[in-house]
Amino acid sequence: MSATSSSGEYLAAPVLPNVLPTPKERGKIMGFIHRHPTIVIGGTLVAIMVLIAVFAPLLWTKDPTALAPARRTREPSDLYWFGTDMLGRDVYSRVLYGARVSLLVGFSVATLAAIIGTTLGLIAGFTRSVDAIVMRVMDGLMSIPPILLAIALMALTRASVKNVIIAISIAEFPRVCRLVRGVVLSLREQPYVEAAIASGTKVPVIIWKHILPNTLAPLMVQATFICASAMITEATLSFIGAGTPPIIPSWGNIMAEGRALWQVKPYIVFFPAIFLSITVLAVNLLGDGLRDALDPRLAKRL
Amino acid sequence: MLSYVTRRIIATIPVVLIVAFFVFSLLYLAPGDPAAIIAGDQATPADVDRIRESLGLDRPFLVRFFDWLWRILQGDLGTSIFTNLPVSHMIQQRIEPTLSLMVLTLFLSLSCAIPMGVIAAWKHGTWVDRAVMMTAVFGFSTPVFVIGYLLAYFFALKLDWLPVQGFTSISHGLFPFLRNLILPAVALGLVYMALIARITRATMLDVLSQDYVRTAKAKGVGQRGILFLHALKNAAVPIVTIVGIGFAALIGGAVVTESVFAIPGLGRLTVDAILRRDYPVIQGVVLLFSCVYVLVNLGVDLLYTLFDPRIRY
Amino acid sequence: MDRRGFLRTAALGAVATAGGLATPNLARAADNKVLRFVPQANLANLDPIWTTQYVVRNGSLLIWDMLYGVNDKLEPQPQMVQSHDVSADYKTWTFTLRPGLKFHDGEPVRSKDVIASINRWMARDATMGLPIKRRLDALEAVDDATFRFRLNQPYPKMLFALGKSSTPCLFIMPERIASTDPFKQITEYVGSGPMRFNKNDWVPGSKAVFERFDGYVPRAEKANWLSGGKRMNFDRVEWHILPDSATASAALQNNEVDWVETPSPDLIPLLRKAAGVNVDIADPLGNIGSLRLNHLHPPFNDVRARRAVQMALSQEDYMRAVVGDDETLWKGVPGYFTPDTPLYTEVGGEPLKGKRDYEGAKKLLKEAGYNGEPIILLVATDVAITKAQGDVTADLLKRIGMNVQYTALDWGTVGQRRAKKEAPAAGGWNIFHTWHAGADCVNPAPYIALDAGGDTAWFGWPKSELVQAKIAEWYGAPDLAAEKKVIEELNKAAMEHVVYVPTGFFKGYQAWRKSVSGVVKAPFPLFWDVTKA
Repeated sequence: MSATSSSGEYLAAPVLPNVLPTPKERGKIMGFIHRHPTIVIGGTLVAIMVLIAVFAPLLWTKDPTALAPARRTREPSDLYWFGTDMLGRDVYSRVLYGARVSLLVGFSVATLAAIIGTTLGLIAGFTRSVDAIVMRVMDGLMSIPPILLAIALMALTRASVKNVIIAISIAEFPRVCRLVRGVVLSLREQPYVEAAIASGTKVPVIIWKHILPNTLAPLMVQATFICASAMITEATLSFIGAGTPPIIPSWGNIMAEGRALWQVKPYIVFFPAIFLSITVLAVNLLGDGLRDALDPRLAKRL
Repeated sequence: MLSYVTRRIIATIPVVLIVAFFVFSLLYLAPGDPAAIIAGDQATPADVDRIRESLGLDRPFLVRFFDWLWRILQGDLGTSIFTNLPVSHMIQQRIEPTLSLMVLTLFLSLSCAIPMGVIAAWKHGTWVDRAVMMTAVFGFSTPVFVIGYLLAYFFALKLDWLPVQGFTSISHGLFPFLRNLILPAVALGLVYMALIARITRATMLDVLSQDYVRTAKAKGVGQRGILFLHALKNAAVPIVTIVGIGFAALIGGAVVTESVFAIPGLGRLTVDAILRRDYPVIQGVVLLFSCVYVLVNLGVDLLYTLFDPRIRY
Repeated sequence: MDRRGFLRTAALGAVATAGGLATPNLARAADNKVLRFVPQANLANLDPIWTTQYVVRNGSLLIWDMLYGVNDKLEPQPQMVQSHDVSADYKTWTFTLRPGLKFHDGEPVRSKDVIASINRWMARDATMGLPIKRRLDALEAVDDATFRFRLNQPYPKMLFALGKSSTPCLFIMPERIASTDPFKQITEYVGSGPMRFNKNDWVPGSKAVFERFDGYVPRAEKANWLSGGKRMNFDRVEWHILPDSATASAALQNNEVDWVETPSPDLIPLLRKAAGVNVDIADPLGNIGSLRLNHLHPPFNDVRARRAVQMALSQEDYMRAVVGDDETLWKGVPGYFTPDTPLYTEVGGEPLKGKRDYEGAKKLLKEAGYNGEPIILLVATDVAITKAQGDVTADLLKRIGMNVQYTALDWGTVGQRRAKKEAPAAGGWNIFHTWHAGADCVNPAPYIALDAGGDTAWFGWPKSELVQAKIAEWYGAPDLAAEKKVIEELNKAAMEHVVYVPTGFFKGYQAWRKSVSGVVKAPFPLFWDVTKA
């Protein structure tokens, strides 16, 4: 942490003249770390989680769904690193495989919500006739609290990872849509865009050349935060019993199953909770860092 | 001013209508069949069909939507399929716990978050600032139910200071009321507190870097404290906005918190109703929550004019 | 409601409201006069004829009285009835009510109330009510206290039917309530039982409150399960609904509730250690877990495929998953009837005993023509017992080479989906899980799950003429020895046909504060004779 705090102080006092000349041998990488410690910490943690998820089968895990009722609720030991759950499944293996679901849901929702939100936001921003309708519908969707909306959507369909992703994306994308529309509306008034429109440049070209590049920074930041909140929402849905199918080891499911035993076997809930919190924390840090790096002005507003 | 208020209020009507339509069509499409649940384990398929008919679940979509809307306009939210009680009555019974939880959570989180944010801005760049920011990031990186179980484990089971579950009405005294509600409010409030502390810090820094404050500083006006008081007043608008937007998180969190602490509020009513496909109750509650959310944000909009006299519409 | 009745209700309401204002904290009434009970599930409605949920029956037992009540040997004993008279051919049954029976609204219980209640119940009770209805020439009031059945065929099991404790039970309601369509819910909860229901304090999903009915005159005998004198020592019985079993146990440890009906077996060691908590078996008759197969569609329309599952299924796995490591709580049952009851038999139970045969199962599946088609397994994930069974089944089917499609639903949706006779791929199903109370599996009369009448059978629609013939034979059996012989043959026939696969016999615990005494082991919570220090 000491590296972080020294860099933090360095960061925090930009108005001071830089009395300490940067040693020339300090590489670009170290510079980056010093300027954006949160990106580095968050990014590293996310990368580790991704590696864990991808290489789960190689990390001394067993079949995470194999039952063994005869050796249920074993405490953590050499044999079962994180213990076993109420059906005798190995919690360590389940938690490692669980990273796959959380990350998949987080990244997919972020991507899906960004794509849908951007598309609709662009359409709304450029087409006045559509704008009113789309934005009223977005207002309507946004006035249903996201978790409530996601629960209601999950009650509609069969539990599956795909449906969880769709439900959370629907709950999240209106915020992207509003953001993108806002950017479009403010950019449209810029002289160079007006000039482009007046000179008959086609709308797709304007979007490609002027709008998208300016949307990208806030969009990336927003997508990161959506990713974090989607992972929490997935866990919450599973916890309530309206999320990922229980046969799939996701962190939310492991916690939901373990909660009946939290007084006697707290480790069943504890390990997935730690992994989930660290991952969400990492993604949030990454988002904070990106925001600071990409758009200092936005950083202050959010 | 008055016409602005009227215009804002009228503008919320289509939003609420869209919500109503959305909520209704969602649950119309749901695959669960309340008739089969009601009929119970021993029922024959013929029994199930009869129950379905007697509930009017076999009528077409639009008929049911307009029928439903018309009755809502008359203040009738329908009757629960499971309890046979009016939905409005069930909601009424459960408003107090949820309202208490939200008010206490708001109070706790605001009274922690704003000082935290201000101090962080004041001590900008020091370890205090970073500690506050780290707490905030942790706050919204941990699921509400994990915090809830942790708190219950230590404060109720290990230390035996507070009850594990339940709700006591404030009419039975302030102390029993707080005893039951303090853990859920802290669990629920952490996310909210994190959100507000961050925005407070950010807007404070923003305001402090603005020209007029710098000018004031350069002129040597007043003490730092007074300066911060001014800045805080100017930061009020974004803070209030976040309080309004964050209200959605509060509602979502209440659903989970009420389950963890067995609080007989609207959140648990919602979860129970959804798992049981009690259509009228789900529709009533989601509509209510959404209306409250819309109203809160309407209130926030109107508050702007109070906080910031420069805003005129 | 007549005008006087309306005025009285209005006046009562006013008094109740005024009382409520004057003493806001009714719960503060002397602590030992209030019992705080955590029931097995939410009391979402209170019409015990309209729904068959056990929890509704249990609440109803406080509000409504029954003509007959079973004792701990499941024998019907007169409860509201003073005496009965039956003709030699078992066709005419005459009953006389005992004097002094009163409804909570002050009206006496009359024959017309009983007749209306019997009519509503007969329409909804498939195992015993409908058979009476089919035999019925007349059900008539002789006078205010006497009523008579005239049947066109003998029905020797009449008293069992009137006193049956399996749902729906015959509860006696006032005529105006009992004349409600049996397929619509009643809205008034007035009975003649020892407690009245406080509708104002009812918060479905959270709390239900019963208050002592002072006009109740208990029978002179000591209470024994649902028979004898139901003497209440509480002014108020509060049901606190706590769906999360961890929360319920914690509340009991913290003295926030007095009695938990179904604590999670895994938390029992903790409760045993807790000061001030007693733990004991809840119901000696226990429960029988069920793996229900769909007999209409491949592969399980072929008895060989059903036998494949049967020979590979390990009841130990199911029982450990359902109730945990406490081996006193469960045992394997190579049969369909409740262990430790007179008709229990293991004849024909060999396929469920001994080492489990995965290779044999694979071979049988092949013979049955199974070729990797998806098997739709419906799992109600919101109910611990069905969830645990479903998880074990998914694992089992994988082991015998079946392609499982684990379909996670809530209990309500399983209830809907299992009623579909369509092919599994077209919205139907292959397997679901449930369990049956041991009290309902003591003989074929309340045993809806063992019926193999094809289309009219319970979900899964097993069809076996041999099973049906044996059930009919049992109804005619003259004595216990004859009954036992028939039941052995029935058990064997049902095993061979694989009507369903029992996943084991298990008991549950109940737990209560040491300050409470008089808690009885039974298939339902019994509040009479319970006291609190």
